[in-house]
Amino acid sequence: MSEEQRTDPGEEPLKLTLYVAGQTPKSVAAIRNLQRLCEEHMPNRYEVEVVDLRQQPQLAREHNIVAIPTLVRSLPVPVQKIIGDLSDHEKVLIHLKVER
Amino acid sequence: MAHAEPARAEDPDADLHRRLAEAEETLRAIREGDVDALVVRGSEHDEVFALGGQDSYRTFMEAMDIGAAALDADGRLIYANAALCSLLGRSAKDLQRQGIAAALGERAARIVQHLIDEAELSRRSRQVALPRAGGISHVEVTVAPLSLGFGHGCAVTFTDVTERIEAAAAHESDRIGRAIMASSNEAVVVCDRDGLITHANAGVRHFQDGSVVGKSFDQAFPLSFALSSGLMGGGDLIGVALAGTAVRGIEATLTQDGRTQDLQLSAGPLRQSGDAIGGCIVTLADITERKATEKRQALLMGELTHRVRNTLTLVMSIANRTIAATRDTAEFRIAFGRRLEALAATHNLLAEGAWEGLTLEELINVELAPYVTLGSGRVRLQHLNVRVAPDMAVALGLIFHELVTNAVKHGALSNDTGRISITASPKGESVELVWQEDGGPTVLAPEKSGFGQTVIARGLGPGGTNVEFRPEGLVCRMYVPRGQVNQP
Repeated sequence: MSEEQRTDPGEEPLKLTLYVAGQTPKSVAAIRNLQRLCEEHMPNRYEVEVVDLRQQPQLAREHNIVAIPTLVRSLPVPVQKIIGDLSDHEKVLIHLKVER
Repeated sequence: MAHAEPARAEDPDADLHRRLAEAEETLRAIREGDVDALVVRGSEHDEVFALGGQDSYRTFMEAMDIGAAALDADGRLIYANAALCSLLGRSAKDLQRQGIAAALGERAARIVQHLIDEAELSRRSRQVALPRAGGISHVEVTVAPLSLGFGHGCAVTFTDVTERIEAAAAHESDRIGRAIMASSNEAVVVCDRDGLITHANAGVRHFQDGSVVGKSFDQAFPLSFALSSGLMGGGDLIGVALAGTAVRGIEATLTQDGRTQDLQLSAGPLRQSGDAIGGCIVTLADITERKATEKRQALLMGELTHRVRNTLTLVMSIANRTIAATRDTAEFRIAFGRRLEALAATHNLLAEGAWEGLTLEELINVELAPYVTLGSGRVRLQHLNVRVAPDMAVALGLIFHELVTNAVKHGALSNDTGRISITASPKGESVELVWQEDGGPTVLAPEKSGFGQTVIARGLGPGGTNVEFRPEGLVCRMYVPRGQVNQP
């Protein structure tokens, strides 16, 4: 599990959790795509945690994860889930409700 | 692709709808291939399963003995298999953290980066040398474009070809070694540390008909060395070479089956990796002909020295004989001059080697011309219109010269009444030439043998001549092998 936090005070941060399974191609792709999205579209507004369910399968229950990769936006509420490798950046940004 | 999960305090219907939407979205994602792993709930714990055979593919990659890596478009490492980690001597984590370039070293990293730049559209390969403990690994690096879920990247494989290259180099040097041995005009043998012959080139057949491989050098080549060489036998030569000293130009004789050959040998240690001496190489050159030529040249040199010494005596003799046969000074000048010219001609023949295609008669006339008038009754030539091989002409020329000189000084041409008869006739496998003098001063056998007699006795080899000192005149019989004459 790895965490990255880059938020500015006074602005509501996005709290994101990406569930992956080791280094499956879609897991790797999802990590790379999320990195790029965060850097390009929401600088200093995100808090990301990457959970490797191969290492810690028990953590799947918290967000009721079945398919991998899945990105969970736990803040702001309501909780949003996005399944897939996040390669369609526009759709991801719409679901995360990030203004571009 | 996405769905909302509202706050917990919601009505049961909304929760049901939400769960339903989530289940539908999950099924859609699986159906459309958006996911490649699933979490399966177990009674005790949950498990993660990869879809689409990714596990078996990864297992296969890990089992490969070829190093493999996937890089993203920026050259960052996405994945490296165990073989690559082992080849580069780094753990997978270190490779992830430091990057592959750090592990490759500056030069190899530059080459690989160049390949990556070139491989945007198609596969590229090149060999690179990677340092390793105790030497260098030769690695064939292949870069191929790779389509990734998040963009493009490349697949890089590292195939260790060190053994193949070293085997090829060893094979090539072995091939070159054999080619050198085969192309050598000299006989070349290689002996192992025990002095047993392990290799021999075709040149060895000049000395030995059968195979010499497996025999000791001494056994294969029973050599006799000159005392001054300090060597007792071939084994000593091998010993010197195996001790690390190269020797060259050692002369020896090889006697077998009643035949003697003069040899010149060189020997040197055969150094293997680490400078250890694994055996030795011996070259053998047949110098029999060269030695024979040297002996012939020594004989010719001796002959010339001898002639120079005799020349004044001969000139004096010619002068005396001419004075006795001429009436006045003018006649003497002409006769004496002609005889001196004839004398010079024989010297020219000897010096220039212009012996080719001469008949026995021509050879004898050249020698006699300075002393007697050709065609006079004092010299009788019979059946001498026989051509002789050049080598034989030289030998016979020298002998005739000595016989004529002897006749002028002591024999049939030393007085006014002497006669010489020269005849040739077949006798067995030879042609017998008989030089017979009569009417000269009484002949006494000489008390000691001079150079002239040596030339006569040895000029045609053992048994080639026979000289008889009869009181009434000398008789010399010469035997020329039929192969050396060409009768018209």
